Amino acid sequence: MNPEPFLQLDRVIHEKGRLAIMSMLAASADLSFTELRDALGMTDGNLTTHIRTLQEAGYVSVTKSFENNRSLTTCSLTRAGRRAFTGYINLLEQIVRQTKAREP
Amino acid sequence: MESNWASGHLQVIRTLMERSAVYRRALAPVMTANGVLGAVAAGVGLAARIRAPRAFAGYWMAVALAAVAGSFLLARRQALKEAEPFWSPPTRRVAQALLPPLFCGLALGLPLFAGQEGLGGAAAAGPGLFWLPLVWIALYGCSLHAAGFFMPRGMKLFGWALVLASGILGALRALGAFAWVEPWRFGHAVMGLVFGLAHLAYGVYLYFTERRGNEA
Repeated sequence: MNPEPFLQLDRVIHEKGRLAIMSMLAASADLSFTELRDALGMTDGNLTTHIRTLQEAGYVSVTKSFENNRSLTTCSLTRAGRRAFTGYINLLEQIVRQTKAREP
Repeated sequence: MESNWASGHLQVIRTLMERSAVYRRALAPVMTANGVLGAVAAGVGLAARIRAPRAFAGYWMAVALAAVAGSFLLARRQALKEAEPFWSPPTRRVAQALLPPLFCGLALGLPLFAGQEGLGGAAAAGPGLFWLPLVWIALYGCSLHAAGFFMPRGMKLFGWALVLASGILGALRALGAFAWVEPWRFGHAVMGLVFGLAHLAYGVYLYFTERRGNEA
């Protein structure tokens, strides 16, 4: 079995919480902090930490704005983030195909 | 084993991507408010004897406009309360799904509204008052069914129920049922039952299931 695809998996995305954030953002142009928090059932601190990691990797961009005098934090995938996410999915599919091909 | 792990990851990703696209505003208040509005409007229509096709079409289109405006405000209030953008991608998808059938309903109602009959004129007995509410209900059901692809909690089923109700009532009418009911009374009664009470019942159902879902 070729271990190459597994070794190539992006460790930033591979963590469960960050993968969840990336998946949600991949299906939407942008999502607010509260939308992400409620949908994923994360605490504010946990979500902030994961978003910061993704931001530092250049995968997620965070925009702060004001709507009706309330601060609004929205997150979206960057071009690099979308590319990394697509690459991650491709590798997962490759692993599935490779393992299935070995089955009798 | 690795295949299972990778497949599991892909499944999780798919589920999360779908969840991200789902409209998450609480629908119970919207449905309940529309139910009350529909039932009260039907009662007022019957009591005020709004019987000419023009008056009937204008009256119910105004009620629909009020319902849309009310729904919009309720959804916006929720978004503000939760510090979320109102015009989010899921909201846009739902609006895009709702619009074509609703526009069609408006287009079909306008000729009746633009007619020359005065209030309570001879044309009050016209077949338009039998068919227009049924067509409106069917189109409204289609719009909810289309929007249901981006909404949780049985919205597609509710849309189907409206389409079926319209079809069954139309078939019964074609077979000669309700011939004894004056068309304008039939129209208000159908609107009150389907737009009013059905919405109300669905709103109450959502009130309990949405709350349970949030508590879980």
